[in-house]
Amino acid sequence: MKKIFYIISIFLLAAGFAGCNKPRRSPGRIYMPDMTYNRAYETYTSTEELKKSGATYTGMPVAGTVARDESAWNYPYGNDSAGYALSKNISNPLPKLNDEQFQEAERLYLIHCAICHGAKLDGNGPLYKDGDGPYPAKPATLVGDPKYETMADGTMYHSITYGINAMGSYASQLSPEQRWMIIHYIREKQKPGSGKSGSSVADSSAVTKMVKK
Amino acid sequence: MLNSKFLENKKKLNRLFFYGVPDLLLQRTPGIYPHFELLQPMIPCNAILRLSFLYISITFSVFILHAQDGKQLFSTKCASCHNIFKDLTGPKLGGVLEKEKYGGDPKKTYEWIRNSTSLVNSDPYYSALKNQWGSVMTAFPDLKDAEIDAIWDYINKTYAAGNKPKPAGDDTAKDDLKKANQNSVIFGIITLILAIIALILAYVNSNLKKMSDDAEGIIRPEPVPFYKNKFYIALLSVLLFVVGGYLLAKGAIGLGRQTNYQPEQPIYYSHKVHAGINQINCLYCHSSAWESKHASIPSVNVCMNCHKAIQAYEKGPEIIDENGNKIDGTAEIQKLYKYAGFDPKNAAKWDPSKAKPIEWVRIHNLPDHVYFNHAQHVRVGKIQCQTCHGEITNMHEVKQVSELSMGWCINCHRQTKVDFNYSEGKGNQFYSIYEKFHNEIKKGKMDSITVSHIGGLECQKCHY
Repeated sequence: MKKIFYIISIFLLAAGFAGCNKPRRSPGRIYMPDMTYNRAYETYTSTEELKKSGATYTGMPVAGTVARDESAWNYPYGNDSAGYALSKNISNPLPKLNDEQFQEAERLYLIHCAICHGAKLDGNGPLYKDGDGPYPAKPATLVGDPKYETMADGTMYHSITYGINAMGSYASQLSPEQRWMIIHYIREKQKPGSGKSGSSVADSSAVTKMVKK
Repeated sequence: MLNSKFLENKKKLNRLFFYGVPDLLLQRTPGIYPHFELLQPMIPCNAILRLSFLYISITFSVFILHAQDGKQLFSTKCASCHNIFKDLTGPKLGGVLEKEKYGGDPKKTYEWIRNSTSLVNSDPYYSALKNQWGSVMTAFPDLKDAEIDAIWDYINKTYAAGNKPKPAGDDTAKDDLKKANQNSVIFGIITLILAIIALILAYVNSNLKKMSDDAEGIIRPEPVPFYKNKFYIALLSVLLFVVGGYLLAKGAIGLGRQTNYQPEQPIYYSHKVHAGINQINCLYCHSSAWESKHASIPSVNVCMNCHKAIQAYEKGPEIIDENGNKIDGTAEIQKLYKYAGFDPKNAAKWDPSKAKPIEWVRIHNLPDHVYFNHAQHVRVGKIQCQTCHGEITNMHEVKQVSELSMGWCINCHRQTKVDFNYSEGKGNQFYSIYEKFHNEIKKGKMDSITVSHIGGLECQKCHY
C-alpha cells in the first residue's frame, strides 16, 4: 500500500512542475497595501482618478516653463525650413571639450547616434548594416561625406533638436549642452588622423573618377 | 521610358567597347581570327595585343563598376531619403518613373535631380508633389547624366529582381516549443501507464501471498487497512506537517514579491529584437536611468525616432509569445502608430504632440517604504542593467528576474566592491573622504571595500 502513496505523490509533483511553465501574469498579493502604495501621486501613476475628481491635470509643464540651465542655451530658430536655413549662422557655444567631456560625448554618441550613424561615424550602424538592418533609409555618413564635413554646427544642432528627413527629434533625450557636446565630438572625429573611418566613401569616389574617364 | 532609353544607350556603348575594339584588332592581325587564341605568345603583334587587351579589360571593368557605382551613388546620395521598395521621406524609387507624369523622360529627371526647386516653381505637377511629400528634394547639381543613369540602372535592376527583404523564417523556436509540448505529453502518458502497472502488480502480489498462505495452511491475522495503520497515520501527519509548513512559509515569504512577474503589455514589445538583435543601448530608451531615480519608460516620440521609417517587422526571426502564439511584428508596429496618431501614408503631416501615451504595465514594483535610485547604481556604482534585470537581450516579453527582496539587496551590498581607485582628476573623488579605509588598505588590513563598509547596510539609506 506504500506504493499507492508514492504514486500519488509523484502525480502531485508532476502536476506541480507542469504548472510552472505558465507565465506569471499576476503580480500577486501583498501584506500591507497602505505601506506599499503611496497615497500621493508618484511617477507613472495613472492620473485618471485625478481627472475624474475634477482636477485639471495635464502632465505637461506650465506654458513658459524653462528647464534648469535652459536659458543659457537659447536657440532662436523654430522647426521650419526658414529656421533650418538660418541655423548655419549659429556656432557651437561650448568651448572645446576636455578629455573627460570628450569621453562623456563619446558615451552619448554611442548610445543615441551610433545605432544609426555607426560607431565609426560611417553611417552604417547596427540598424542599417548596409541595408541588411531593419532601417530602410541610409543614415548620414558623418565622417568622409563633404556634405556633413562642411555642415554648419548650427545646422547639425537644428537637425538633432527638431529632426530632419527620416531622423527624429532628440530633444527629449539630449539636453542642449549634450547636443553641442556631441557636435564637438563629431567635429573632432572629422579631423583627419583621428581614427577616421569613411573608407567606403573614399572607395566610391575612386570609382566615380574611373567612370568619368 | 527612361529604362528602355538607358538600355539602348548602353547597347550602343557595348557595341563600341566589346565588338568595335576586337574587330579592329582582328583586322590588323590576320591569322589569329579562326582560333582567337589571344594569349599565345608566338603572335607577332604582341605589343598591340597587350595594349588592346589592357584597353578591353579597362572598358570591361568600367562596366562592372558602372553597376556597382550606381549602388554606391544611390547609397551616398539618395538612400537617406529614398528606399527602392518603401516610401520614406521621399517616394519609393522602384517603378516610380512609370507613375510619373512625364513617363520618366530622362531630361526631366536630370533636371529634377540637379535643380528640383526651379521645377517646383515652374511646373504645377512638381509643386503638387512638393505638397504631397511635405518638402522639396535636395538638389544634386554635381551629378552627371551618366551617374544618374547608373543610379537608375541600379534601382531598376534591384526593383526588377524583387530584391525585397524576405522575413527570415526562424522556425526553430517554434519547433522547440512543439517538441517540448510533445515531450511533456509523452512523459505524462508513460507515468500514467507505469503507475497503473505498479498498482496492478501490488494487488497481484498481495493476492498471491494470500493464496500461498492459504495453500500452506498458515493463518495470518486479517491485515489492518492502511488508513487504520498507526504507522501510516504517523508518517502521513509528519509529511503533511513538513510539506505544509514548507509551502506555508514559502507562500508567506513570497507574499508581496513578484519574481517571474511577466504581465501582458498593450503592445507586444520584444526586448530581444530591440536590445538584442538590433543592439539598441538600454539607455537609448531608458535614458533617465543615468541621471534620475527612475529608469524612464520612453515616450512615444522615442519609439517613433526609428518607427517613422521602420514600418514593418520583416527581417528578424519569427516571434512566438509565452502562450505559444505567433506574433505579427508589423501589426504590433501598427498599434504603436495608433497611439502616435501616425499615418504611414501621410508621414510628412505627422504631429508628435498629438500622440497618446501607451499604458505599459509596470513590472518592477518596490513598496513605497523602500527608496531605490537608478542613477546611484547605474552611473556611480557602474552596475550593468542585466545584473538586476537579467538577460533582457534574450527576453521577448520582460519578466522580473530578481526577487527585489531586502535580503537580495543586502546580499549584493555585502558582496559588491566599490571602485576606490581614484587619483587626481580620475575616478570618483567622493571616495577620498574615507580616509580611514584608504589607510587600512595601505597598511594591508583591508583588501577591498564593499558597499556595506560605506553605509550600504544602514537602515535609513533605503527606509526613511
